[in-house]
Amino acid sequence: MKKVSLWQLFIAFFKIGAFTFGGGYAMIAVIEQALVENKKWITSEFMMDMVVVAESTPGVIAVNMATGVGYQKRGVIGAIVATLGVVLPSFLLICGLSFVIDSFGNNYWYKAAFAGIRCCVVVLIFNAFVKLGKQVDKNLFNLILVACAFGVSVFTNFNVIYLIMIGAVVGVVFYCCTPIGSKLLPPADQTEEEVDK
Amino acid sequence: MPFLLLFWEYFKIGLFTIGGGYVMLPMVMQVVEKHGWVASEELLNFVGIAESTPGPFAINLATFIGMQVGKETSLGLFGGFLGAIVATVGVVLPSLVIIIVVTKLLLKFKSNKYVQGVLGGIKPVVWGLILSAIVTVGCAVVLPNLDTANITSQGFDKFSWVSLIIMVALLVLSRVRLGKKKIHPILLILLSAVAGVVVFGVCKVPI
Repeated sequence: MKKVSLWQLFIAFFKIGAFTFGGGYAMIAVIEQALVENKKWITSEFMMDMVVVAESTPGVIAVNMATGVGYQKRGVIGAIVATLGVVLPSFLLICGLSFVIDSFGNNYWYKAAFAGIRCCVVVLIFNAFVKLGKQVDKNLFNLILVACAFGVSVFTNFNVIYLIMIGAVVGVVFYCCTPIGSKLLPPADQTEEEVDK
Repeated sequence: MPFLLLFWEYFKIGLFTIGGGYVMLPMVMQVVEKHGWVASEELLNFVGIAESTPGPFAINLATFIGMQVGKETSLGLFGGFLGAIVATVGVVLPSLVIIIVVTKLLLKFKSNKYVQGVLGGIKPVVWGLILSAIVTVGCAVVLPNLDTANITSQGFDKFSWVSLIIMVALLVLSRVRLGKKKIHPILLILLSAVAGVVVFGVCKVPI
């Protein structure tokens, strides 16, 4: 793996932030092409590991990827610089856009167009739901959790952060402390093997 | 102190978002409503904008909401920038710290059974939350007067058939494959904007 300067790190992630639409998974493909294939800063194994970690730790996936790669190359400063790089383009653009929105907000045509776009937003959320569903096994335990989370969130004002915390606790209890749950988890040594490949 | 509140709320959102952008949306909707930061209609408009501008969706959303909240303070424009910075830093900070720690322990972290247990419990909950976001956002578009947490008969007074038809048409469009590829989300948003201009603008259907 090559040595990389902080400035190179910043520019690479600035470009990735500026030219990827949609974030998250779209960005993973772009990062792979830029950093693994073209620049050869990281190996594809490290890339795969980072994707798993980025998905299973809190935060925005694209930002997590930037932080991880930056840290791998240049330590804590590298992590900060890469994160700043990936965030800065959208930050500047959105600050600018918010003025445009303020001045057009009451325009007749703007309102009509956005009444259409709001219909599209429902479809976008639906598609995110379908995509995420591929990561969730359709077993009884999961379906009960899905139904509870759905019901509580739609029909009450209960804080969704508490729902996620409860999910985490229920998950640990079920998978680590009950016999049915521990069978569902892949055995630890098998996961290690897959990693080594 | 609105900036401290903004930071704290976004820090929590950043800390509890596992699985990327849209997972954040149910939390953002709840927080924004609780503090009355942005009108829910404006928030939905902005989801469309965030999806069609470059950069991570969740960062775009944080910057925008921070900007809107900051501008309302006595600091005006400067407050807007400050708010945008505060919200963006807040949402990024938890993962920055966590990733730095986790990258060190990479392999051990992945196969740890407690980590897998936590993820096993969180993923279905998050999936259920996104399902609920479809319902609440869908209701906001089709039944604008309905509050799902407090259902009354008045909620069904206004029913926007036209929005429902546009929504179903877009849904069908987004699921069919043209050749090998699915239709790109940005194209879908552009099409919906055109549909909105034609239906609500030219044909003057009341929104």
